Amino acid sequence: MITRDLRDDLTSALFHEAELLDDGKVKEWFEGLLTKEIDYRIPVRITRERLSGRGFSEHAWLMKENWHSLRQRVMRLDSEYAWAEDPASRIRHFVTNIRLEEGEGSDRVTVKSNVLLFWSRLDSTDFKLVSGERHDEWVREDDTWKLDARTVYLDHTTLVTPNLAIFI
Amino acid sequence: MNPEVITLPESVRRILDQAQESIPQGLLPISVFNDPDLHKVEMERIFGHNWVFIGHESEIPHRGDYVLRYIGEDAFIFIRDEKGQIRVMWDSCRHRGSQICRAESGNASHFRCPYHGWTYKNTGELVGMPAYKEAYGGWDRSQIRLHEPAQVDSLYGLVFACLDPLTPPLDEFLGGAKWYMDFYHGLGEMEVVGEPHRWSVDANWKLGCENFAGDEHHTLFLHRSMWEVGAIQVPRDRMSDGYHVQIGNGHTIDMGMGPDPDESGIEYMDYPKEITEKFKTGHLSKDQLALARQSVIHVGIVAPNFAQLHLPLTSDAENIPPIPVKTLRVFQPKGPNEMEVWSWCVVWKGVSEEFKELSHRVLMSTFSPSGIFEQDDVVPWLSITKAAGSGFARLKQPLLNYQMGMEGVGVSKPVPDWAGPGTAYSPRFEEGNQRSFWSKWLRDMLVEPSKVSTP
Ligand code: FES
Ligand SMILES: [Fe+2]
Repeated sequence: MITRDLRDDLTSALFHEAELLDDGKVKEWFEGLLTKEIDYRIPVRITRERLSGRGFSEHAWLMKENWHSLRQRVMRLDSEYAWAEDPASRIRHFVTNIRLEEGEGSDRVTVKSNVLLFWSRLDSTDFKLVSGERHDEWVREDDTWKLDARTVYLDHTTLVTPNLAIFI
Repeated sequence: MNPEVITLPESVRRILDQAQESIPQGLLPISVFNDPDLHKVEMERIFGHNWVFIGHESEIPHRGDYVLRYIGEDAFIFIRDEKGQIRVMWDSCRHRGSQICRAESGNASHFRCPYHGWTYKNTGELVGMPAYKEAYGGWDRSQIRLHEPAQVDSLYGLVFACLDPLTPPLDEFLGGAKWYMDFYHGLGEMEVVGEPHRWSVDANWKLGCENFAGDEHHTLFLHRSMWEVGAIQVPRDRMSDGYHVQIGNGHTIDMGMGPDPDESGIEYMDYPKEITEKFKTGHLSKDQLALARQSVIHVGIVAPNFAQLHLPLTSDAENIPPIPVKTLRVFQPKGPNEMEVWSWCVVWKGVSEEFKELSHRVLMSTFSPSGIFEQDDVVPWLSITKAAGSGFARLKQPLLNYQMGMEGVGVSKPVPDWAGPGTAYSPRFEEGNQRSFWSKWLRDMLVEPSKVSTP
């Protein structure tokens, strides 16, 4: 059952996650908030005629990650030569419209949320906004809610940022 | 003086005059990377004249399948028509110009213009309009069809189009580049996996092209973190082994070579045996076969803006050894200071689903907007474009350096008795591949393309 407590817990988990990512604590995010089974994906989106659906590809992704490939991404951000994120991007996740659906058992819940991501780099006044919806699976492990699966459905077809060295 | 050149805007003439003097010395005016007037001239003289990559035949396998593609900044429908013929058609209505194809991909027997409803078959013929009798009274519309580029042709499934009827045919345009494609694309039929990645970069399109022409020097430094995490395992100190080839017409290939294939495990660009034993090699000469068997890395461009890259990489160095990935690229201009990068993953038809999936995944992890290789490439490209559009650049006309490999600069030397077309240099630390791209660009920029129109 989706109780008020459960909703509070998951809302806190999402906000905590956003804080870690926005503060550049990607390692803490990876080590503390993801399950070993994590399935993280961002499908490519294309403009299709209305009858053909919303245009999310079933064959191409901007990211399609498991724990190991995420680990390589996170490790590489630690390098002195990770030019894309040094200086770090200034990012801010605005997470809203949080919706819970019951999962299997009391320790698993489906969470949908909308996300708006502010992204700016170096001393430029320019910024980009990335918008999308996230479909997550969260599971309770030792009393902590952890992210088990996420699909980010972007509101963009052609990606608006020159690279994607951050997590949405 | 060429009368055409007189019609050019002052800033363009200045950049081209400077480039004519500097490019032979391995120097390039920085302004070529961000000048609005120069960009307009490029749209005519580069994209109005050259063969431009449209897509791969496997992207539209069935009759009626289409995707939207670009020549310069213009949208074209790339379609397999009802008779199975591959066509490229300008996405603009013959009535009063509206866009008729508004999805990026799909399947259609007809396209109907949203403005007044002129309707075209997927062969391009105009076949209907609402109230035909009342409005047009039996007017003969049978000669009207969508505009098409003057020439469309393909090689090994790669489809190119050219707006200029006077440009030599594709095989002549590719010239020696075909010899090098024979022992990659010619080894078997290839297919595209999934939809291409498209992403927008606030940088000039030529920065992608000159990089993919072959640039190991940046790999060592900009991409150093790739060795730290083990994503690439070709030894760092062997990165210069191999050849840069300036094929002619601005086309280049850059091959990283492994040890002698007869002495070690590597064979055919590191592809697994289950794939290489299906390769067709009967059409290859002894020299082509030797290069195919021994090369590990292939990078190169077909000028002006088509590129390819093949190399073995991994997305999980601890558990999965590197496997070969292959990407086709277009660096599509979108104004003087923006491009859209297009990237297709391709594999040989008939490879196992496991190989296909893993290769696709590894490519995405390394060469894509989220790829840990490619994340870093855009960092310099953004800043070069900014610098190129600055007041300092306009005032001082600074020159950039492309001299590595020229007399007295570096150690790379022409390879004597090179078996293939073009001039090969070894080791790969040299910028002749970039200089050949720029020489071709300059030649094009000095000539007005033919304006002969299609019917
Ligand atoms: S503009 Fe297409 S029907 Fe009129
Ligand atoms: Fe690079």
